[in-house]
Amino acid sequence: MSTTVTQDMSFLHLITSASVLVQLVMLILMLISLSSWWFIFRKLFVIRYEIKKTDDFEDIFWRGVDLNALHQRIISSRYESGSLERIFAAGFGEFTKHPAGSDLEAVMESTRRAMRATYQREMDYLESHLSFLATVGSVSPYIGLFGTVWGIMNSFRSLSSVTQATIAHVAPGIAEALIATAMGLFAAIPAVVAYNRYASRTDQLATRFESFMEELSNVLQRRAAE
Amino acid sequence: MSSSDPRNSPHSEPRSLLAGVLAVLVHVVFIAFLIFGVSWKDHPPEGMVVDIWTELPKPVQEPVKTQVPPKQPKPVEEPVKPKPEPEPETPKPEPVKPEPPKPEPPKPEPLKPEPIKPAPPKATVTPPVKKPDIAMKEKPEPVKEKPDLEAQKKKEQEKIKEQERLKELEKQKELEKKKELEKKKELEKQKELEKQKEAEKQKEQEKQKELAKQKEIEKQKALEKQKELQKQKEQELAAQRQREQEAKAQREAEAQRAAQQAAARNQVTSEIGKYKALIGAKIRSRTVMPPDLPGNPVVEFNITLLPGGDILDVKLIRSSGHASFDSAVERAIFLSKPLPLPPDPALFNEFRNLNIKVHYRE
Repeated sequence: MSTTVTQDMSFLHLITSASVLVQLVMLILMLISLSSWWFIFRKLFVIRYEIKKTDDFEDIFWRGVDLNALHQRIISSRYESGSLERIFAAGFGEFTKHPAGSDLEAVMESTRRAMRATYQREMDYLESHLSFLATVGSVSPYIGLFGTVWGIMNSFRSLSSVTQATIAHVAPGIAEALIATAMGLFAAIPAVVAYNRYASRTDQLATRFESFMEELSNVLQRRAAE
Repeated sequence: MSSSDPRNSPHSEPRSLLAGVLAVLVHVVFIAFLIFGVSWKDHPPEGMVVDIWTELPKPVQEPVKTQVPPKQPKPVEEPVKPKPEPEPETPKPEPVKPEPPKPEPPKPEPLKPEPIKPAPPKATVTPPVKKPDIAMKEKPEPVKEKPDLEAQKKKEQEKIKEQERLKELEKQKELEKKKELEKKKELEKQKELEKQKEAEKQKEQEKQKELAKQKEIEKQKALEKQKELQKQKEQELAAQRQREQEAKAQREAEAQRAAQQAAARNQVTSEIGKYKALIGAKIRSRTVMPPDLPGNPVVEFNITLLPGGDILDVKLIRSSGHASFDSAVERAIFLSKPLPLPPDPALFNEFRNLNIKVHYRE
């Protein structure tokens, strides 16, 4: 008796003996979990990288380097630049394109528009896949729950054919069904945590970008007025 | 031209492959934990279940066996003392003391020989086969037995004769006794007959006496009945008087009660009337009368009240014919809440559904 019990309750046996639909749910949850973890790590690296680049660029910029030289350097090494560097390059490039005698207001307006466009693009890039994490966090528990409910339904249905019902008839079915819920929670909890963390980080970055844009436009306006 | 470049600029995503490897690693760790974690928990119960079942029956049997052996040795020792044989005593303590739990099978074995050993002493007494051997060694005992046997034979013959004589004598005595008994029976029968006659006479006398007594008793009873009837009549008369008195008292009490109730009702009605008047006055005081209506129109409202004077509902029962007056009175009813109600909550039922008439002119 004891040996059969251990065979029934082993983890792999539980998964392989589950019904097809529950197995399908488990497979979907496995893929979701894999991709969500992949995005979690990707976004972790991206956001870390962006924060580091932003820190570095702000450090260099406020140290009072020559803006033309800075712009040239960013243009030459564009593929290693950060978001804030790209925003600066777009704004400064737009500012320098205008001839010296043109209307200051028009120049500043077009400069702001160029920076705003790049800012939008960069934010889109930073916030990409965050919605996926949010979706995983909210939906995967329900997928797991669906698998569990289905599995428990089956185990109870098989119980109806038995005259003397014992917990041993139902327990394996419920256990294998509950694995689906466990997998859903395993996918959901890290996704929710990561989403909240990354959303706040990108918000912080966004405010930094916006304040830099305002400051840069002031700097450029002063420079044009001189 | 530099402005067109940043739009197409592909964001060089750092270490996206590493992220994928890490994601797979996390899952491998998780699944490994699940597989080993679940299988670890399953092993201990096997050993536990088996051990418990094998151990349980032993302790149950042991106490039963330990109780049994002390009873067995006692009967063993008693038969041993008369027999000066040291052999049965020594084996018995040996199995009992060294192996207390398991000696159950050996114990019955030593016990069996013990009943056999008590048997030999009986054999020494009973065996008649060995008499010659014993007779040679122990002469006095068999010598005494032989003369006894001859004398017994003679005595028995004498006894038989005496018994026969005695039997004959007894038979004669029995016959005499029977005759005497018959005589006695006849005498007794005669005596019984005489007694029966005397008893019949006595019974007749007793009957006569009883009849006389019954007659006297009947006379007494008749007298008593007459007395009782008289008493009953007196009692009935007294009861009637009492009833009449009680009836009078009741009537008086009822009259008093009725008077009290009437007074109470009067009070209540006066109270109700007072508060109805108060309500009417309050409503009238709040009514903004529309000017210049012809005649004295009357509007009637049914007001449903809540305890405390709040207005639950107001229904127009009879319109005055002037909508402005009706609406003015309705507004006044709502304005005048809470309506004045008597402090006694028992009277509230009178005010639950209140019909209020308001005249245009007083």
